[in-house]
Amino acid sequence: MRITTMAETMRFILIDKIISLESGKAIKAIKSVSLAEEYLADHFPTFPVLPGVLLLEGLIESASWLVREAENFAHSMLLLEEARNVKYKSFVAPGAQVEYTVEAKTVEDNISSFTGFGESDGERIVEARFGLRHFNLSDEDSTMAATDAKIIENMKKRWELLR
Amino acid sequence: MAMNRDEIFQEVQEVLIDALGVDNNEVTTEATLMGDLGAESIDFLDIVFRLEKAFGIKIPREELFPAESLMNNPELVNNGKLTETGLAELREKLPHTDLAAFENDPDINKLGDLFTVGAIVNYVDIKLNAA
Amino acid sequence: MSNPADSFNIGRTSAEMRWIWIDKFVEFHSGESAVAVKNVTLAEEHLHDHFPGFPVMPETLMIEAMAQTSGILVGEAKNFQEKVILAKVKKCVFFDYVKPGDTLKLAAKIESIAPEAASISGKITCGEKLIAEIDLMFSHIDRNLAGKEFPEENFVFTDTFKSLLQGLSSDDGSSDALESGQD
Repeated sequence: MRITTMAETMRFILIDKIISLESGKAIKAIKSVSLAEEYLADHFPTFPVLPGVLLLEGLIESASWLVREAENFAHSMLLLEEARNVKYKSFVAPGAQVEYTVEAKTVEDNISSFTGFGESDGERIVEARFGLRHFNLSDEDSTMAATDAKIIENMKKRWELLR
Repeated sequence: MAMNRDEIFQEVQEVLIDALGVDNNEVTTEATLMGDLGAESIDFLDIVFRLEKAFGIKIPREELFPAESLMNNPELVNNGKLTETGLAELREKLPHTDLAAFENDPDINKLGDLFTVGAIVNYVDIKLNAA
Repeated sequence: MSNPADSFNIGRTSAEMRWIWIDKFVEFHSGESAVAVKNVTLAEEHLHDHFPGFPVMPETLMIEAMAQTSGILVGEAKNFQEKVILAKVKKCVFFDYVKPGDTLKLAAKIESIAPEAASISGKITCGEKLIAEIDLMFSHIDRNLAGKEFPEENFVFTDTFKSLLQGLSSDDGSSDALESGQD
């Protein structure tokens, strides 16, 4: 069994810090892009830029934190349900920072919808409309309650690091 | 395919709602694609592809949205405005658009205003009836 | 050829493995459609963050897997001469999540293709289950994005991506021919 610490497994977190939060309404977060991010070597060789899907991931994570905070960490699983009109307008290179701005259109018990954009150095990089779904594994399988609790506990710790 | 203007408008409206993520009350005949509906380069291509599928026609992109090549041609633009030659080219390329207002002040930055929902409906109407 | 399956294995160095989200193509109809597969495994470290305690493949990486499947399809249609990049996710919908041990099948189809761009529709399935529907647009960046600077050479389609197509004949992608080991 592989024993991991929080620091060891920070490989799929696409925001670095939450810079503002209006509970249940809007959130802003930043992500710094560094050559230390391994995938940049492949994307692209000679022209490293943050992959478009990871820009979308930054928007999704920002929205997820808005929901988790607003619902007081009621659910363990927050997943992208749909996204539309996700447009990529420019590139973000190592050394630059992206600022994500996400506004909630609706936040209900199990679903939420958002519009969001990312900007870097005053230039718009990405914009999207998207919706999340939120649930607990125990909704379908009561034996998963302990797993839900574990995920939620981890998310609360991560929240303390990010906010 | 015989379609009247209303039917064409409905279909064009749906295409623009899907491609641009706007609401149907924003897609009026006078609405400009760039200014009012927020369309950009990649959206123009998305719109052309969708119109081709929706109406079963082939749309050379230059035919529907010729602005870019005109704007970048130094022979047709002088001091940010289209020259007479430029205007003549534009009239030839956009038979489906009313250019009167633009001709009064042929500022290339205003070329975008020519691309209205109505202009698209006109274009499709002409294409379908020419077939 | 000793084992047809070997022709699908790509010679990767560890330096090239950090942003490939498909494992191999199983069908390829040049200019029309393609099918790739991806195994989801606990050996993928990023899963441990998403989420700690219950790893699932992030939806955005599923979008990327579809983008790679369809991007190669579009690129190959133009002989890899254009730098083809993801410009717009028209729409994506996810019906279920995916766990380690699952194998994804990614089916992409070219809906429209023009000199400046291409539009594709895609479906991701896991066994019988529909996982996602993803519609994308690619832009051929030399023809768009005026004013942005980028290198001349085609940095998008590296040898790693092109080698995913080894062993597949590009004008006949029927899986029957592939299984029997014939070209």
